Amino acid sequence: MSLPALIAIILGVSLTAYALFAGADFGAGILDLLAGNRDAARNAIAATIGPVWEANHVWLIFSITILFSAFPAAFAALGTALLAPLTIALLAIVVRSVALGLRVSPAATPRAGATLSRLFGAASLIAPFMFGAVAGALAAVSSSPPHLGAPAVSHVPWTGAFALTTGALAVALCAQLAASFVALSMVRSGQQRLAERFRVRGLQTGACVCLLSLAAPAVAATAAPAVWHKLIGPALPLVIIGLCAGAMSLLASWRRRYPLARGASLLTGVAVLWGWFVSQAPHLIGHRLTIHSTAATHAALGAIAIAAGAVLLLVLPAMYLLFAVFARPELEITK
Amino acid sequence: MHAPPTAVISHLTAGRSQIGTSLSFHLFFAVLGVGLPLMMLVAEGMHLRTGDPVWRALARRWSKVFAVLFAVGAASGTIISFELGLLFPRFMAYAGGIIGLPFSLEGAAFFLEAIFVGIYLYGWNRLSPRAHWLSGFPIAISAVASAFFIVTANAWMNVPRGFQIVHGHVTHVDPLAAMFNPAWATETSHMVFGAYLATAFGIASVYAIGMLRGRRDAYHRKAIAVALSMAAILAPLQVAVGDLLGRTVADHQPATLAAIEGVTHTERGAGLNIGGFPLPGHNGEVLNVKVPHLLSVLALDNPNAPVRGLDTFPKANRTPLAPYVRLAFIGMVGIGTGLVALSLWYWLRRRRGSVGPEDRLTLMAIAGAGPAAFLANELGWLVSELGRQPWIVYGVFRTSSGITTSPGLGTTFTAFTLLYVGLTALTVWSVRRIAARPVEGLPVAAMRAA
Repeated sequence: MSLPALIAIILGVSLTAYALFAGADFGAGILDLLAGNRDAARNAIAATIGPVWEANHVWLIFSITILFSAFPAAFAALGTALLAPLTIALLAIVVRSVALGLRVSPAATPRAGATLSRLFGAASLIAPFMFGAVAGALAAVSSSPPHLGAPAVSHVPWTGAFALTTGALAVALCAQLAASFVALSMVRSGQQRLAERFRVRGLQTGACVCLLSLAAPAVAATAAPAVWHKLIGPALPLVIIGLCAGAMSLLASWRRRYPLARGASLLTGVAVLWGWFVSQAPHLIGHRLTIHSTAATHAALGAIAIAAGAVLLLVLPAMYLLFAVFARPELEITK
Repeated sequence: MHAPPTAVISHLTAGRSQIGTSLSFHLFFAVLGVGLPLMMLVAEGMHLRTGDPVWRALARRWSKVFAVLFAVGAASGTIISFELGLLFPRFMAYAGGIIGLPFSLEGAAFFLEAIFVGIYLYGWNRLSPRAHWLSGFPIAISAVASAFFIVTANAWMNVPRGFQIVHGHVTHVDPLAAMFNPAWATETSHMVFGAYLATAFGIASVYAIGMLRGRRDAYHRKAIAVALSMAAILAPLQVAVGDLLGRTVADHQPATLAAIEGVTHTERGAGLNIGGFPLPGHNGEVLNVKVPHLLSVLALDNPNAPVRGLDTFPKANRTPLAPYVRLAFIGMVGIGTGLVALSLWYWLRRRRGSVGPEDRLTLMAIAGAGPAAFLANELGWLVSELGRQPWIVYGVFRTSSGITTSPGLGTTFTAFTLLYVGLTALTVWSVRRIAARPVEGLPVAAMRAA
């Protein structure tokens, strides 16, 4: 395998980690918005995602540094062509993180907490929508065969039917992921009533995911035919896996098989994401900027591969420690 | 693409203002992100050693503030990583492959930090006291590592190495040579010391205000003592590192040196301008004391060495903001000198008695030192960033060539400025509310026992 391809796969893995873990966080915000003023439900969401949310979002920064170190020209083109949607997503991420950070801090009063929650929820919905729309837009411009008079990409239309569908799909996926995480965590801590509420949310959002994952190829067939050809071509196995996993997740939720429901919704996310990657590989943005044409020099790519190795060696054990510490019950330390 | 002529500020100015605002905002949180973990570790370590509950109360209080600052700092850092591509895509296309290594390593360090922040902040009641204290070390270490990696990238922008340009294309990239360019050591240590100092003076300042309001107890005294101990050790070191960094600039950025030191015309055996405020129409002569030959000695180790004046550089290659660079530099050095004097004064006076000086004047000086130390950090970055103009990479790549071709920067600049105003208000509100809560886990008797 060539070095650019290796780095591209590392980038894909990093983006997948971001999409799943941060996606669950975004979803938590969406569920929080849906929970309205029911404090028990909102506390359940906060308890499930509180300790680890910060670490999840580091995957985004890591993905960005890989992207601009390894494929600088593609990073530049992305920033230029998608200035608007990326700026909106960025604002949403920041508002979201800060609202959550302040809400869980001991400083918040109930009234301020409610305002911060609404802000948190709205921003949690906007960010994945923008990312989903960007992904759809990129797939549409990158998978189409080269045509005359399109030398470079200076603008990527991100408000087309296909991009809007993928944006909505991203939102639904995030919400379903979060519902499956919270439901499982509630079952494990013995809170059956709350678990039931989030199981229902999981069913509702899961149904949306299934509908939208059927709708996306259908919309592609008319609005973005190039993507459609990729989806029934090289990406077909992933499309099938995604649809099966989505159905499985619904079924598992229905039969109260919580761990299976969570696993299947994670798999749905992975399949959708890699379906996108495969449908536009090896193009990063447009058909001229590929992982090969925009790759940095060999030495730079080698250095990034080593840095990525360092992340695996250091971060994965630390990540394990984090989850292990929070899986333990609290110690009773005498004051 | 150019902004329409009716725009209030130009396309380039809007982009530069937006990233400048983002960096100044982020710097405040980055500085505390580097400094506070060390202070928390010291306080928690003192608690483990002495069993004194005041230390634990301090560590817990600081960790709560840190939680808020870390959340905001992570968000403002994310903004900058995006903005590099959104505002300066052509610069990133040029430089990304050369200085990507430190950015990727910074990603790894930030990752570790975020994970252990989770463990530390939520782990007070889940880990043994010793294990909890130990879980703070990776935070302090990776925070310094993050600052180190990012500043090596900035050092590269000032003294670019490790690549060649052949037919307009970047080739022969040596990521290690780029990262360990001639400025890496002095710039990174100046930043890390600066962060520790600002945090120490910031903490001392908060508690000095408390004492001025009459809260003269062990809690306040210990906080000031630990903060000013750190300051007393680091402040003189920072002066020495600053001098070394000045030499780095003299060796590699002659145009920047001329702007910093206010050298308009080339001088053989150049004197050091002390004061010399660049007011309009006065050409740097306002309140100036010139120490003969000192600049040549400081910058070039030779009392008769010539220092190039700003007017020997083509107009297109000198910073258009030279007076501001000079002002920022005077401000930074002036504040630094004052801070050294203050920490020495505190420790000289403390030697005589067991308690540090608590007269109104000293406390007021300490109270003012915190904001001043943060200001010195901001001014130092202004010197680095404005002093390098018109280059984004000194001598090879112009800032105007790096800006995006996408329109609408006026709008994004406005949006982000509003965001920062909101974020500042929220942060201040939140930290003030934490500060207003009674100190937990501390019997009143312990507070009084001074």
